[in-house]
Amino acid sequence: MLVMRRRAGESFLIGEAIEIEVLEILGTRVKLGIVAPDSFLIQREEIKITRDENIAAARSVRQQNISSFLNQVASQPAGAPVKNLTDASILTTKCT
Amino acid sequence: MPRIQTKCFDELEYSPDAVFEFPYGIPGFEAEHAFVFLEQPATHPLMFMQSLSRPDVCFILIPVRAADRHYKLCLSEENLFALRLPADSQPRMGKDILCSVMVCAADDQRPHPTVNLFAPIVINLRRKIGIQAIQTEYSPRHPLISQVPQEELVACS
Repeated sequence: MLVMRRRAGESFLIGEAIEIEVLEILGTRVKLGIVAPDSFLIQREEIKITRDENIAAARSVRQQNISSFLNQVASQPAGAPVKNLTDASILTTKCT
Repeated sequence: MPRIQTKCFDELEYSPDAVFEFPYGIPGFEAEHAFVFLEQPATHPLMFMQSLSRPDVCFILIPVRAADRHYKLCLSEENLFALRLPADSQPRMGKDILCSVMVCAADDQRPHPTVNLFAPIVINLRRKIGIQAIQTEYSPRHPLISQVPQEELVACS
């Protein structure tokens, strides 16, 4: 792994088309600015975890699983915020 | 009224103004830019987030606070921008935005059903725009099973 020290305001290049600038360093967080052609997909590592979970969640949607989820949810207390949220979903299509 | 083929409810009519736009799709489903949200009394409070273009793409959601009553959503500047919300304040859950999480059934690697508190689905209710907003301090595989102490359950019922 190449390790490089940079101060805020300094940048580095990857090839000729990609420039990464350290914009700001605040405590444990670094703010970066990235200039790259549109064809490069730039994403956080967290996106990979999310993608894997999304695919697993979509695969798991089956009729027999729905009742199992409901059994789990029924054991949860239904607090006021939950009611507000579902009330807010009046914009959604209702099916019977 | 246009019709949609759904994964869980066969074919349904939907109103065009019930369509929510996901400008960036969601990770793993980047091409899905339009979803409808379906609910029925029998499966309350579950919601079904159904892709408009792919009948096989449907997610089961529950309101985040049904999974974690103390959940705190913190939207980054870029999340707020994507949702077309003001950058200078956090939106109110249930008023400005809807925040729900995906449920995933148990399988070989997952002994119990889990909810993804790490990546909630957040919707701007007024503009009907949705994103999946990463919350790194939460788990992508939080158990759905109630972990609330018995005395609190009694107090809430």
